Amino acid sequence: MFRRLMQLLNREQKSKSVAKSRLQLILVQDRTGIDEEIMESLQTELTEVLSKYFILEREQVEVELEREQDSMALVANIPVLGTKVRHPVEA
Amino acid sequence: MGKVIVVTSGKGGVGKSTSTANLGTALAVLGKKVAVVDADVGLRNLDVIMGLESRVVYTSMDVLEGVCELEQALVKDRRTKDLYLLAASQKNNKNDIQPEQMKKLCLELKETHDYVLVDSPAGIEQGFQNAAAGADDALVVTTPEVAAVRDADRIIGLLQNMAINNLTLIINRLSPEMVKTGDMMEPTDIIDILSIDLIGVIPEDKEIVVSTNRGMPTTYNHKSDAGQAYKRIAQRLEGEDVPIPEFKSGGFAGWVGKLFKG
Ligand SMILES: Nc1ncnc2c1ncn2[C@@H]1O[C@H](COP(=O)(O)OP(=O)(O)O)[C@@H](O)[C@H]1O
Ligand SMILES: [Mg+2]
Repeated sequence: MFRRLMQLLNREQKSKSVAKSRLQLILVQDRTGIDEEIMESLQTELTEVLSKYFILEREQVEVELEREQDSMALVANIPVLGTKVRHPVEA
Repeated sequence: MGKVIVVTSGKGGVGKSTSTANLGTALAVLGKKVAVVDADVGLRNLDVIMGLESRVVYTSMDVLEGVCELEQALVKDRRTKDLYLLAASQKNNKNDIQPEQMKKLCLELKETHDYVLVDSPAGIEQGFQNAAAGADDALVVTTPEVAAVRDADRIIGLLQNMAINNLTLIINRLSPEMVKTGDMMEPTDIIDILSIDLIGVIPEDKEIVVSTNRGMPTTYNHKSDAGQAYKRIAQRLEGEDVPIPEFKSGGFAGWVGKLFKG
């Protein structure tokens, strides 16, 4: 979240757009009670688990809570370089 | 039986008291019987905004303590028929009143008035809880600023928890020039974020300060854009289908253009 916020702030943008983006991020945190720290530990654990199966580009992993109107979504961007699974996993 | 509406915001200084005074006046001008109640105990100022400070004898605290009857504590506004003020105590503390007491007071007032507008203090603590205790509906006031909208969101959540579900939003101090240059969030942005219905937009208007100096709500001034915007909100509260000109499609120029034509 923080990274994304900084990107938004750094871009040459009208201050109203910056205000709106900041508000959206602030409200996700206010409404869920999930803060930066929790998101970071979620991201770390998620990366650990996924690393058992995939070779990830760890620096690029991004997990964010996003909000649109009344619904919320966990949006993850996880670049995969390759897989660690030789054979398809039997279900 | 009338309706109790709490005017609230979370953040201070966004225009709760100004809105309460002007809407109360506008509703009375429409012929309704109105009581405006100052629930900002310890920091009362609704009486000053309405220009009634010199006529306040008793406060809501006196009513609650049995010093006087409710009827006696209501200050009649002589400029408009059927407009009354119940002042807050300046001496006492917010914690001296209990939500149950406020609720009873509101119930009693709405038996004899069409509208009971309760001016809430800033914050989300006891003072706010008291102000909202007897409310049927709420008007949430915000300005187009990050901190104010954030606090409005918080207040909306708290009101919903109190089962006050008829919530509408007043956006105050909108500056069309700043919206035009992209330096102020516009109503659509704020509605998007808060997802509640908009009941009106009040422009930034120097007349608000002038009228507060005079103790004469802006609603009386036919040349004031803010005063006229408050009148339209009063009509909407009355169920009239007054379009929100300041919020019509047709792009920005459309609604701002219309806002200032009326
Ligand atoms: N639309 C407006 N245009 C200009 N000044 C305003 C407007 N609305 C409120 N103000 C000013 O802002 C200040 C705070 O308003 P007030 O109604 O006392 O806020 P609150 O009750 O929420 O603390 C006052 O000085 C008031 O005159
Ligand atoms: Mg006030």
